Amino acid sequence: MFEIVMSIVNLILVILLAPLYEGVLRKVKAIVHSRIGPPIYQPYLDIIKLLGKEDLRVSNNILIGLAPIVCFASIMMVALLTPIGSIKAPLGGSGDVIVLIYFISLAAFSIMIGAAATTNVYAFIGLTRKMMLYLVLETIIVLSILTGVVRSGSFNISDIVSWNLKNGPTFSMLIAAIPFFLVMQAQLAKLPFDIAEAEQEIMEGPFIEASGPRLALFKWSFFAKQIIYASLFLEIFLPWPKTMIIPIDIIINLVKVLIVIFIIGVIDVVNPRLRVDQAIKYYTGVSIIALIALAFAIIRA
Amino acid sequence: MNAKEVAEKLKGKFKEDILKIEEKVKDKLYININKKKVKDIADYVFNELKARFNISAGTDRRNIHGDFQITHIFSLDSDKIFLLLQTSVDPNDPNIDSITPKVPGANWAEREFRDMIGVNPIGHPDPRRLVLSDDWPENVYPLRKDFPADCKIPGVSVGAPGPRVVMKEPPPDATVVPIGPFFPVLEEPSQWRVFVKGETVVGCDYRGFYIHRGIEKMGDSVLTYNQIPFIAERICGICGFVHSCCYCQTVEEAAGIEIPKRAKYIRSIILELERIHSHLLWLGIAGHIIGFDTVLMQSWRMREPVMWLTERITGNRKTYGMNLIGGVRRDITKENEKEILEVIGKIEKELLALIEAIQGDTTLMMRLKDVGILSYEDAVKMSVTGPTARGSGVEIDARVDHPFAAYEYVPVKKCVHKEGDVLARTLVRLEETLESIRIIRECLKQMPDGDIMANLEGDVTAGKEGVSVVEAPRGEVIHYVITGPENKPYRWRVRAPTYANLQSVPLMFSNATLADVPITLGSIDPCFSCTERVEVVDLKKGKSKIYTQDELLKLSRRKYGGK
Repeated sequence: MFEIVMSIVNLILVILLAPLYEGVLRKVKAIVHSRIGPPIYQPYLDIIKLLGKEDLRVSNNILIGLAPIVCFASIMMVALLTPIGSIKAPLGGSGDVIVLIYFISLAAFSIMIGAAATTNVYAFIGLTRKMMLYLVLETIIVLSILTGVVRSGSFNISDIVSWNLKNGPTFSMLIAAIPFFLVMQAQLAKLPFDIAEAEQEIMEGPFIEASGPRLALFKWSFFAKQIIYASLFLEIFLPWPKTMIIPIDIIINLVKVLIVIFIIGVIDVVNPRLRVDQAIKYYTGVSIIALIALAFAIIRA
Repeated sequence: MNAKEVAEKLKGKFKEDILKIEEKVKDKLYININKKKVKDIADYVFNELKARFNISAGTDRRNIHGDFQITHIFSLDSDKIFLLLQTSVDPNDPNIDSITPKVPGANWAEREFRDMIGVNPIGHPDPRRLVLSDDWPENVYPLRKDFPADCKIPGVSVGAPGPRVVMKEPPPDATVVPIGPFFPVLEEPSQWRVFVKGETVVGCDYRGFYIHRGIEKMGDSVLTYNQIPFIAERICGICGFVHSCCYCQTVEEAAGIEIPKRAKYIRSIILELERIHSHLLWLGIAGHIIGFDTVLMQSWRMREPVMWLTERITGNRKTYGMNLIGGVRRDITKENEKEILEVIGKIEKELLALIEAIQGDTTLMMRLKDVGILSYEDAVKMSVTGPTARGSGVEIDARVDHPFAAYEYVPVKKCVHKEGDVLARTLVRLEETLESIRIIRECLKQMPDGDIMANLEGDVTAGKEGVSVVEAPRGEVIHYVITGPENKPYRWRVRAPTYANLQSVPLMFSNATLADVPITLGSIDPCFSCTERVEVVDLKKGKSKIYTQDELLKLSRRKYGGK
């Protein structure tokens, strides 16, 4: 029963609040730009509008229609495997860290497959860039979560969270938090790392042929990703403060998510876009931090 | 070297092949040469005398002299001299040796007079069609005097399929990435076929002139002297004043008109205001191209007061309509002066902060440094101008080299950087903006009282020639005019700076990655031109309608299909 209720709560939170966070992000951007900016509820309108538009397809390839659905569905699965507020993830009993990372990857791969199916040259460029970036990013995600696994001795996310809560802030976990935070910037396709989309260079790359409802699903998954990644980051690495009263913890978490998204938004707005080779170089450096964290975890620091 | 010495040198070297040398205006040498020697003389002028190639002009003089005239315009910038190599081409044998193998920067200029006048450059390395569209019929040359300005020739249908321009194919195992004709970071249409291996650019091909509007033809046929400044201003949507200014200077030079000193200062002030707003606009676009929208928003916010200011002075945010032959139309009042100082003071303060922020931004440096390098040698070879040249260490600035307007009284500092990359071009523009602010202050301090318009008596004599330059924000604008009867120019040739700079872009692309292509292209501040008419074809009824600007305006203001 608990699992069902929490599943519904998680999904509703992610699906319904995601566009709101995006709206806040746009407002932050606008303020830095000296603009008025769109109203905070604008992303809701965008999604509603896109859902009602005609679905134009460049080919009959079934993958074109499938890609956004798989992307959205796998993001929702990640939402169910992520603890938001409560220590236990709704489906934490049925899947561990490895399943979580699989679904994170599946979301990215579905975008790539959808791009490959379009036969558009810009989509292909976006795809290769995304692939190159993802190879580095996934390693860092695995390494930082692995630090938690080594410390808690369990592959279950809930165990990692409760271990971290019980044993207070530890050196290795705090170091591991840094690479995970830096990876979010690229995973959420924010500047300076929105290289695979790069509107001015390759016109949104993999999404160039996505229109109407398919674009809406892609966008919605992107908005949802922001909440999920921020929650994952906060619950695994910085779970404090926890009252153990789930509704209050959820609210605390949402406020913390807002702060994280705000920081990511500010980094986004004060940076130009890097080239893919520069980004890979940068993240290779970041992965060394993750390795250091893992080393500390092994010596139990 | 002064003009006399140059003339002596040429005469000594080429003897009887130099038919006539005439210094019509101080430092402007009109050199009539033997057609057979045009390549050798151009080679000598460009490679030995180290002159810079500006532009070629083809003129149909069949109804006066019975020939075509080709004029290759060179300039010796450090000596402040212009050399106009003029040669006569027989209409029965409309061929001339191409100078492009010796002067690479002449590539487009020669293709253009081939398209427009029908004089063939023999031995041109890339003789494809350049200016005319694919549906233009063969052997119809729009700038010939027997071609009517309204395009209506019996028996010839413009719009029928003509020879298609064949674009280059990529080298083996490279793929084509099309940039354009319409692309988010190109404000105007131009097509780049970029050949890439992975992310690395291995070559490219260009096709442009999609929005050629035949402005030169209008000037050569239907417009009178004082109507042209207003059309000239519409050549560019951002720096139009430079064109009307340059045109007026050219006619004034040809007709021997001296304009009042106050008018010169007013021209300089408006030119510098235009440079400030144009450079700020460019900075914003450059920021946008590399995804840095904060720079875009902030620099355009800084730019806005200049637009407001020019509206106060001239009545318009853009396209000021200030110039007439003989002076300017509106004075700068005492009240205006105060407003100018206020606005530029504010911009200076904000710009200094912005420059500091840009130089301290490491991520920005990563994107700009060592990107799109144009070496000094290539810059000279391609005869690029403006910030593109100065960013590569070529010390040219028309305001210093060929002083016009009030620049002979107000000395200008050349802003030069040697690196030749996008960062160098950016820094050149930023420093120039500060320099412009200084120049405006200086001009306002020195500006004498008096008339703003010369007393003009009688008509402009036909058959005179003039050539003049203006340093536009993007580089050097050059106009060449032959005066004609009936209060109209016989030939009016315009070259905008992008014409020269765009030809050097393929050199900047070499070994770049695809991600650097937009910012490299953007770094020369390309400015093609805009069009204001839209043709709508109703397929069901098979009718077409051309909307005027007024109708478009009405349509855009009508809400959701109401009336």
